[in-house]
Amino acid sequence: MRRAALLAALLVAAAPVAGQAPLDWTPDEIRAVASHGPWPPPVAVDRSNRVSGNPAAILLGQHLFEEPRLSASRQVACGDCHQAGRDWRDGRARGFGLVELDRRTPSLWNVGWQHWFGWDGASDSLWMQSIRPILDPREMGGSTRGVAKLLREDRQLACGYERAFGTAPGADDERLLVDAGKALAAFQQTLVTPRTSFDDFRDALVAGDTIAASRYPIQAQRGLKLFIGANCASCHFGSLFTNGEFGDTGVPFFARDGEVDSGRLGGIARLRASPFNRLGQHSDDATDASATRTRHVERQHRNFGEFRVPGLRQVGRTGPYMHDGSLATLDDVAQHYSEVSPDRLHSDGVPLVRALGLSGEERVDLVSFLRSLDSDTPKLLPPAPLCP
Amino acid sequence: MRRRAALLSFLLPLPAWAGDCPLDLGQGTTGLVVFSSHYMITFRPDPLQIEVGAPFALVMNVCTRRGEAAELVRVEATMPEHKHGMNYSPTVVPVGNGRFRVEGMVFHMPGSWELGFDVRSGEEIERLTHDIVLK
Repeated sequence: MRRAALLAALLVAAAPVAGQAPLDWTPDEIRAVASHGPWPPPVAVDRSNRVSGNPAAILLGQHLFEEPRLSASRQVACGDCHQAGRDWRDGRARGFGLVELDRRTPSLWNVGWQHWFGWDGASDSLWMQSIRPILDPREMGGSTRGVAKLLREDRQLACGYERAFGTAPGADDERLLVDAGKALAAFQQTLVTPRTSFDDFRDALVAGDTIAASRYPIQAQRGLKLFIGANCASCHFGSLFTNGEFGDTGVPFFARDGEVDSGRLGGIARLRASPFNRLGQHSDDATDASATRTRHVERQHRNFGEFRVPGLRQVGRTGPYMHDGSLATLDDVAQHYSEVSPDRLHSDGVPLVRALGLSGEERVDLVSFLRSLDSDTPKLLPPAPLCP
Repeated sequence: MRRRAALLSFLLPLPAWAGDCPLDLGQGTTGLVVFSSHYMITFRPDPLQIEVGAPFALVMNVCTRRGEAAELVRVEATMPEHKHGMNYSPTVVPVGNGRFRVEGMVFHMPGSWELGFDVRSGEEIERLTHDIVLK
């Protein structure tokens, strides 16, 4: 009797939600949904970073991530802005290091699969990007010498360095700074979001499993259809929901009164000027193949006001939104794309960003889909000692 | 019978003088063909499958109707619908015997792309094009 009751309960749990049938999906729509998976993708490995995936480097990177002595004031750590308990961002409209910054602190979830870093793509590797805020006088204000000295003189860090890189910290300050960036990058590559209800729906749809597909809320299904129909995936492409490139989304150019943020245009200039890009001596990629994008990237007028297309996984928990944090909620974002001015975007052809004219109900559907890309993430445990 | 029909459909569009142009692109591979009254280009991507956002190269062979040497001056790719090109500027490297390798191609969005090949064997440059739909 008890077994029969249990079986009935299991059948109810496996059945579609009462009154809910999955929407009809055309072959083209199924193909579009399938393109956003599977999740997770193969582990990201950076050939320009010889300690990418190295457990000792990941551990060292986790320690360095919370290390305020990397900063000039010895009070600001990477983890103060990219907070572990807040989805690796700070929740502010604009970041705050030593002073208030012009752009929002992005979440670090899934950052290992990116190929351009920072809102303007001024870094072409995660280790180069990890060095940038350490040296930026507005963020951590640190120095090459200060980082090298810390790695050499702190016994735990020096021991952790030796385990990660195979040699004790040497006399070359710049190399030690770069290696600190590479350990930080190795740690950040481990920050991967879990599967979501969208991923279960995507896999069920591809497998033709209508029972499993019907567990995905109808509201999210309608929102997903809107997302596909509006060609959002032209930029928010693939399993990361980003093509990793840059776009102008109609956000005002001004960072503050009288001062514009040139976005990607300035980012490419900074990339080329830096000794830490993949074309420089610090890349560990002997084949040089991972420098293809850096070698061929072209600075064009249209790059003015373009910013990196963010991935959408965990998007419901990582607001505020846009590069300048100017939109507080996902509904604000849906409204922005519903009403964006074509005059501001200056497109000669069919515009990639255009006013979608969404109704209130459609905005709710779209937001419901976007929130289905969120998941509960496991709590990160404090790192083990470097050299117990 | 079906195999012969398929073969004819591949051969018929080629110009009569195509027989003098090598279709082989190395390692026993062939590729797509575009031609005009004067030029014929055979090319294949490397890797063969083009992925959105992933760098790829083009392995190419350029030949002319009269058999004189030809130069591949430039390769571009645009999305005609949106009137924009790539975010990257490819480089053309001659590798001898009418062969070229084009490095630094990236299609950063799904949709219709038009490849443009600028070729020259005398004074004037001629553009040959080929359409690719990337999903």
